[in-house]
Amino acid sequence: MPPDPAIPVEWLEEFEAVARRPLETHMKYAFIKTYKPVLDDAPYRAFDTMEDYRRWCEENLPDWLGYGRV
Amino acid sequence: MGVFDYRQAVEIRDAFSRHECRYLFIGKSGAILLGYPDTTQDAHLFVEESTDNGQRLVDALRELGFSLSDEQAADIRHGKDFVQLKNGPFDLDLVFAPDGIERFEDAWRRHVDVEGFPVCHIDDIIASKQAANRTKDRETLPRLQSFRDYWNQKRRD
Repeated sequence: MPPDPAIPVEWLEEFEAVARRPLETHMKYAFIKTYKPVLDDAPYRAFDTMEDYRRWCEENLPDWLGYGRV
Repeated sequence: MGVFDYRQAVEIRDAFSRHECRYLFIGKSGAILLGYPDTTQDAHLFVEESTDNGQRLVDALRELGFSLSDEQAADIRHGKDFVQLKNGPFDLDLVFAPDGIERFEDAWRRHVDVEGFPVCHIDDIIASKQAANRTKDRETLPRLQSFRDYWNQKRRD
């Protein structure tokens, strides 16, 4: 496959590296666990609408987690 | 609680298949299944909103080891738009109405099968992130769009 000039070379190399790996290996390095304040502090949450969920994130989570809408 | 891994994805796939649940991997976890190189913490599932499918989900989740009260089971049966589960063997988000996708049926028609895992098409994953428009989505989108170009080209070859 000729490289797509629109894709940055570094990203293309990463895409191709993953394509060569078995899915199980790829997933081993793709899923990580770090503590997310507030979000990880309850075993269960449910929201009637996505709007409710988005608003709850904006009002309760630290900005640096990135859940606020732009 | 451990990190989500391939074995747990297989457990979801098999349990949901046994209970005939209608669902799709979505979000960054879906993109990762398509081969996107990035990291995430949780699995996100787009699930069809219907009482029957909700009951099947509850049965499958309990079989997987999620501890659901009757009230929580009712939330899932009745299709709350977003349910966040951290009361089982791994973290799982259930999304009944993702931003940017009109109907489950539309996403199902476009979905991709990866080793038996039903995954949203990359266009739907990108559409939902564009519609959500969170800071973290904005940061991810350029790379995800490049991955779509790569993925589409690879499928054509």
